[in-house]
Amino acid sequence: MRRDLLLVGAVAYHPRIVTIWERFRDYFGETGVPTDYVLYSNYERLVEALLSGEVDIAWNTSTAYVAAEQRIGGKARLLGMRDVDAEFRTVVATRRGEGFESPPELAGKRLALGSRDSGHAAILPLHYLEREGLAPDSVELLRFDTDLGKHGDTGDSELRVVEAVARGDADAGALGDATWAALRADRHPAVGELEVAWRSPAYYHCNFTALPSLDEARAAAWREALLAMSYDEPSLRQAMDLEGVKRWLPADKSGYEDLTEAMRRQGLLE
Amino acid sequence: MTVRRCETGTLELGGGLEVLVSAALETLRPGEELDVVTESRGAAYELAAWARITGHEVVDEQWEGTGSERRFVVRLRRGSLERVLGSAVSSGHELPELGAGGFATDELRRIVGPAPPAADSAAGLVPLGAAAERGAPGYRWALSSRDPIWSGKLASLADRAARAQWDATTDIPWDAARGLKPDRERAVAQVMTYIAQNEYAAYYLPARYLAHVHPSYLELLLWLASHVHDEARHVEVFTKRALVGGYRAHALASTELSLHTLLEEHDFTSAALLLNVLGEGTFLDLLSFIAAHAPDAATATAASLAHRDERRHVQFGISHIRQRLRADPDERGTLVAAVESRAAKLADLDGLSPVVGESLVVMSARSLQPADVAEAGAAVRSLIHRMHRNRVRRLRAAGFDEATARHLSELHTPNLM
Repeated sequence: MRRDLLLVGAVAYHPRIVTIWERFRDYFGETGVPTDYVLYSNYERLVEALLSGEVDIAWNTSTAYVAAEQRIGGKARLLGMRDVDAEFRTVVATRRGEGFESPPELAGKRLALGSRDSGHAAILPLHYLEREGLAPDSVELLRFDTDLGKHGDTGDSELRVVEAVARGDADAGALGDATWAALRADRHPAVGELEVAWRSPAYYHCNFTALPSLDEARAAAWREALLAMSYDEPSLRQAMDLEGVKRWLPADKSGYEDLTEAMRRQGLLE
Repeated sequence: MTVRRCETGTLELGGGLEVLVSAALETLRPGEELDVVTESRGAAYELAAWARITGHEVVDEQWEGTGSERRFVVRLRRGSLERVLGSAVSSGHELPELGAGGFATDELRRIVGPAPPAADSAAGLVPLGAAAERGAPGYRWALSSRDPIWSGKLASLADRAARAQWDATTDIPWDAARGLKPDRERAVAQVMTYIAQNEYAAYYLPARYLAHVHPSYLELLLWLASHVHDEARHVEVFTKRALVGGYRAHALASTELSLHTLLEEHDFTSAALLLNVLGEGTFLDLLSFIAAHAPDAATATAASLAHRDERRHVQFGISHIRQRLRADPDERGTLVAAVESRAAKLADLDGLSPVVGESLVVMSARSLQPADVAEAGAAVRSLIHRMHRNRVRRLRAAGFDEATARHLSELHTPNLM
């Protein structure tokens, strides 16, 4: 085992994760930053692996990062994020023509949410809707807690959310705006009769998290290689498409304040 | 600088919004901006998400107007990524001439240039004139050199083949096949079975190349596909004619032996000589004979329709070999060796199967009275001579000298194909 190897941990929420990381591993190697990866079945295990030093870098969801950051005492080092992570939003969809002007109008209605550990499909929508005047106990929540531990990555709970709204089991449903846009652009039948009624402020989504103990020079080399990954390189395009990234960006902590507060208020932080 | 506006009305994502916006963004350079105007708040929200996942940037969002006049304006900045990783596609090429015959396949080459002498054997399924996107999985095309598989007549032959398609189910006067006397019907069934057996070989041989020809040799693909389709129909029509009268016949081992050696030939040009020039050429004479002497209109029609197809196949073979012999004199030795080697394997085959020969006589005789049988027997003998003469003529047309042509014709399988 090479000592200079950086080990990245990720969650195997879909078989394509193997395709992605096989290619990325080769890419980092070709770039002179030897890297390998380990896959975990859920983000709780990934966070444990990061904290115990089993992996050097964790490819975290926002909720996994906030949980890790809490335990590290605010000292996590962020090495990058996807272009789409920098301006993530949650949308609330309703049946077409049944939208609302402001969140308090949802009082007395049924609101569908994705997996309870999903920042974008459960934790943040409740938080932001409350901030915009919707009392949490005034709506009937319809939760789809599928794929727990995956923090909403699979998109399964979000699909159930829009299906519930389309079916009439819920009056409104929350999901990530990227998932929504992808379903709509693919002309998925579940969203054909729905529309977006509300969207949240922007926040950050996933990031590469490292411990403060990671050597700065090694962290910098890895970050530099990450940011240099080009979507215009044919052999990288497929893996980047699967990862949903066109450009990697530097990451900072400014986009996680709302989620941190939401998780604290909802009792999700130790 | 004024920013271009893209009016999208009430269009939603998945319902046309992304179509209009994509088309407008395509006209911009990376970094240039576009104002997308929508009457729908939901569309504005989802447009922003769509722009992000497709690599563009939302620069600004504004409401314009009030009440029913309210419009949402989303300002997008075009991202720098190309949607397709390929060289730019050119436009404004020379237009094809559209004559009375329509868009002839020959015209394709005026647009895209000649077939490449050597094609990239790892290329993908790229239509003529298209630019391949980089990063696609590749193939390993076995036939990616033009000259060993080419003929200048491919395009026109393929066009002719497409025009000459017929239907073995409805284009044959099947009722006319009923009512022959048992001896003649049995003879017809045997001759038809023999032909169908041979047509199988004419099917499998070109079909084998079809999957290995490089996609940039479109004319050859069209040609081979028509060839295979023709032969499939020939198998069909002769099988149907064999069975329509109530009798069944033998698929003969001697025929099988001959066809087996034909299918063992893997060189494209040698196969063209053995199948197209020698085999199908000889069958031209056989099919003419049957068309003229068949006891019923169904058999005669099947033979003459098949004859029309086989003429094209023979023309391909002659034109391909003539071109090869001109380009590479060494090819002659290879071709002669192919015929000799097959003849050596067929050394034990000393004539057309008597079962087939006698059936031909019975089929074409007016009656089984001795005088009629003698007349039909003479006609079959004269057919065999005519086959040899015409083989020599075709081999000469393909570019062989007289002595070689006679030599090759004499070595041709007594099974005819």
